[in-house]
Amino acid sequence: MGRDAAIDRALVYFDDEDGYWSDLARRVAIPTECQKPDRTPELYQYLEQEMRPAFEAMGYTCAVYDNPVDGLGPVLLATRMEDESLPTVLGYGHGDVVRGHEGRWAEGRDPWTLTRDGDRVYGRGTADNKAQHSVHMGALKAILDERGALGFNSKFMIETGEENGSKGLKEMVAAHKQDFAADIYFASDGPRVDMAEPNLTLGCRGARNFDLVVDMRDGGHHSGNWGGLLANPGVILGNAIATMADVNGKILVDGWRPPPISNSVRDALKDVKREGGDNAPEINPDWGEPGLTAPEKVYAWNTFEVLAFVTGNPDKPVNAVPPRAHANCQLRYVVGTDPDNIIPALRKHLDDQGFPMIAIHEPPPANDGVFAAARTDPDHPWAIWMKEAVRRSTGKPTAVLPNSGGSICNDVFQDVLGIPFVWMPLSYTGCSQHAPNEHILWSLTREGMGLVTGVYWDLGDPATAYRP
Amino acid sequence: MSREAAIEGIAAYFDSGDYVAELSERVAIPSESQKDDSQADLRRYLDEAIQPAFEAMEFSCEIFDNPVDGKGPVLLASRHEDDGLPTVLGYGHGDVVRGLEDQWLDGLNPWVTTQDGDKLYGRGTADNKGQHTINMAAIRQVLSVRGRLGFNCKFMVEMGEEAGSPGIFDVVEANLEKFAADVFIASDGPRVSPERPTIFLGARGCRNFDLVLKCRDGGHHSGNWGGLLTNPGIVLSHALKSIISPTGQILIKEWLPPPLSDAVREALADIEISGGDDAPEIDPVWGEPGLSPVEQVYAWNSFEVLTFRTGNPRQPVNAVPAEARAHCQLRFVAGTDRDNILPALRKHLDEHGFEAIAIKPPPPENAPDFNASATPPDDPWAAWTSEAMARTTGKKTAVIPSLGGSICNDLFNVTLGLPSIWIPHSYSACSQHAPNEHILLSEAREALTIMAGVYWDLGDGNTPGKKVH
Repeated sequence: MGRDAAIDRALVYFDDEDGYWSDLARRVAIPTECQKPDRTPELYQYLEQEMRPAFEAMGYTCAVYDNPVDGLGPVLLATRMEDESLPTVLGYGHGDVVRGHEGRWAEGRDPWTLTRDGDRVYGRGTADNKAQHSVHMGALKAILDERGALGFNSKFMIETGEENGSKGLKEMVAAHKQDFAADIYFASDGPRVDMAEPNLTLGCRGARNFDLVVDMRDGGHHSGNWGGLLANPGVILGNAIATMADVNGKILVDGWRPPPISNSVRDALKDVKREGGDNAPEINPDWGEPGLTAPEKVYAWNTFEVLAFVTGNPDKPVNAVPPRAHANCQLRYVVGTDPDNIIPALRKHLDDQGFPMIAIHEPPPANDGVFAAARTDPDHPWAIWMKEAVRRSTGKPTAVLPNSGGSICNDVFQDVLGIPFVWMPLSYTGCSQHAPNEHILWSLTREGMGLVTGVYWDLGDPATAYRP
Repeated sequence: MSREAAIEGIAAYFDSGDYVAELSERVAIPSESQKDDSQADLRRYLDEAIQPAFEAMEFSCEIFDNPVDGKGPVLLASRHEDDGLPTVLGYGHGDVVRGLEDQWLDGLNPWVTTQDGDKLYGRGTADNKGQHTINMAAIRQVLSVRGRLGFNCKFMVEMGEEAGSPGIFDVVEANLEKFAADVFIASDGPRVSPERPTIFLGARGCRNFDLVLKCRDGGHHSGNWGGLLTNPGIVLSHALKSIISPTGQILIKEWLPPPLSDAVREALADIEISGGDDAPEIDPVWGEPGLSPVEQVYAWNSFEVLTFRTGNPRQPVNAVPAEARAHCQLRFVAGTDRDNILPALRKHLDEHGFEAIAIKPPPPENAPDFNASATPPDDPWAAWTSEAMARTTGKKTAVIPSLGGSICNDLFNVTLGLPSIWIPHSYSACSQHAPNEHILLSEAREALTIMAGVYWDLGDGNTPGKKVH
């Protein structure tokens, strides 16, 4: 009995075709597309059919909480309390996925069928997040089988609305604060910075989506008869967007730029290398805030994106001045940006720049996630303990990312539960998360299985246990 | 036998409902030239609606297949009365833009005319079936009252105008004698305002093109990649900003025409644009600074972003999009260097750091490429026609140097060398090219009387001279 034996058990489960592969295949097969309103039954199905039995088999008691927001997905909380004197670890995963984008996958792949091509395992939700919480569940099982107990108290929540911006989650956890109470938080989501090396992530950027709308008139008007007489909303919106970010993406809106990057964050990012794998897009070194390194741009700075922009009817173009132009936009922001001022600052900017006719609308409900920026201090004892636990597996210093580029519900843990959170991402940036061809790398996931098992082992081992 | 009798007769034709009935049969043929599978309907329009009508007036008809594969045919109807008489060439187009069936107001069907008050809805009512139906009926009326026209008449109907009139120059150039005439008088487009009879002497040219910035193959998560990857929507917005100001001023100097001549300014001085009750509100600060609205549209160039797309606007996701595309258009008056439009744009983009943006051909179904041309305002046919119209209406005819829209005016004005006189019967808020296309019945009625008067006078002997061939 020991750490290595527990890891071996976890890897046996991982390598067994009837083990991890078949568990993940069943989970991917449930189309838990939370951005489609008619998928709510599948969200419940995922929790009741896949999560509850697996946790109950490990001696957890499970409760499913309906989302306080009507029509949105539920949350499952699995709880295994071994001893009140032991620390309680909160885990997290999300069972929902983005839209399947059926028909747009390479090789005619079906997003709901797990398929393997070399080291790549394709399926919607593999990277984000089904494979990742399935690794945690397999690791907990290995500890229990090896040790007979965890050696700590474990709570694990599975939400089903992350891709909808975790709407309702904060309110629900706040309403059941005692149920979710824990001392520390450890979970996996998102990509590693460098696919060759594990890293811990201590925070995330916030995200605020919004729409810009120029609605000039009811219908299109012949561009010959009216060209020169009618303002073109596409021209106006294009001009406006060009005042919000410069031609290299540098943000120009007052109030949208964070305070200067602190020395500690700069130092932490010095060791961070970004390696997205073969499939990764080519980085444009001139894009974004001038003078920042690539890791600083994505982990320590704000970015403005035009997610989508339409005017006229691009599928059936006609020679008419279009009546309307519409852009779906996003600001990702780090801690230090005032989230309540994002929209007011934009309104002022547009007015000052001569665009009072551009309305700022809330984003479409299917893509209106609002996440607050959050961060656990790199010097927090839980962060230091986690670094050490991973080092025990790798034999190398553990890379720490003060902030991830993406956005997730960290504010629920930081602000509502008041606990330090540490993420260990198990995917890589070339995983096509949120796009067709989402996949995991099998070798990377296997390595993650070992690392996560090692962390849980150390948590329950009196010799290494976390003592805040 | 008199001018008055012809005008009374044509008014009776309208008042009996026969005009609407005749037009409705033509609207019912879905001759959508922008669709690949419309060949049969394009041909059917000539065979069923046009050729029999001209043959009934003792015109001989010839149908020319389009030399461009898959494009609509051209019909030429001719009635030759005497070598000593002037020959008038008419024109219409029987094709229409897409029906856009699902976008019309409740209860309206683009292929079934529907009357609501003064409006008659239907695809092609304004552009152009309603207009050539007026002219053909007026010719028939003069013929029935006078027993002959008193002039030689040729009338061509093409079936590809909304697809950019493909092949039409080849057809005419290969048959110059057959299409030869002394003057061109035809109808298309809108009046300056519904109640003001109008002639146009030319048309703006039109060049569509696409601007495409493709950064990579697929979208990438905006959290993991935001800040590292070029956002093509932002860059293309900047390119547009360098091309046109937020108030619509064109910023590429090679795209601009020479300054307005005094003659053009004068001709436009007493003209007010009015699109009728449903017309969109004119934006007075749009376009070239210092020009009046009427000068913007009849004497200046305009740039449009017809469509723009990046990402997936129907289902936006949090990803940096891979590509942005703008489908654009320049409308330009005579005097603009047409051949330099795209080279000047390329040079402009390169000079502004947008080498990565490609200029691509527009989608084939919306690829108009028209030259600009115009008959001088002092051509005797312009004054003659404007006076002939005024004899019927008692109103001063508005004379516009150049139609805002684009049509193959240069085919008549340049290739055939004819004074080109357009007498439009629609109005600018007719929703031409959009759902809910319609004509105003009161305007159509007046147009019928105008055309009966013009055709009457053409046969009356007092026209400008025959062209010396």
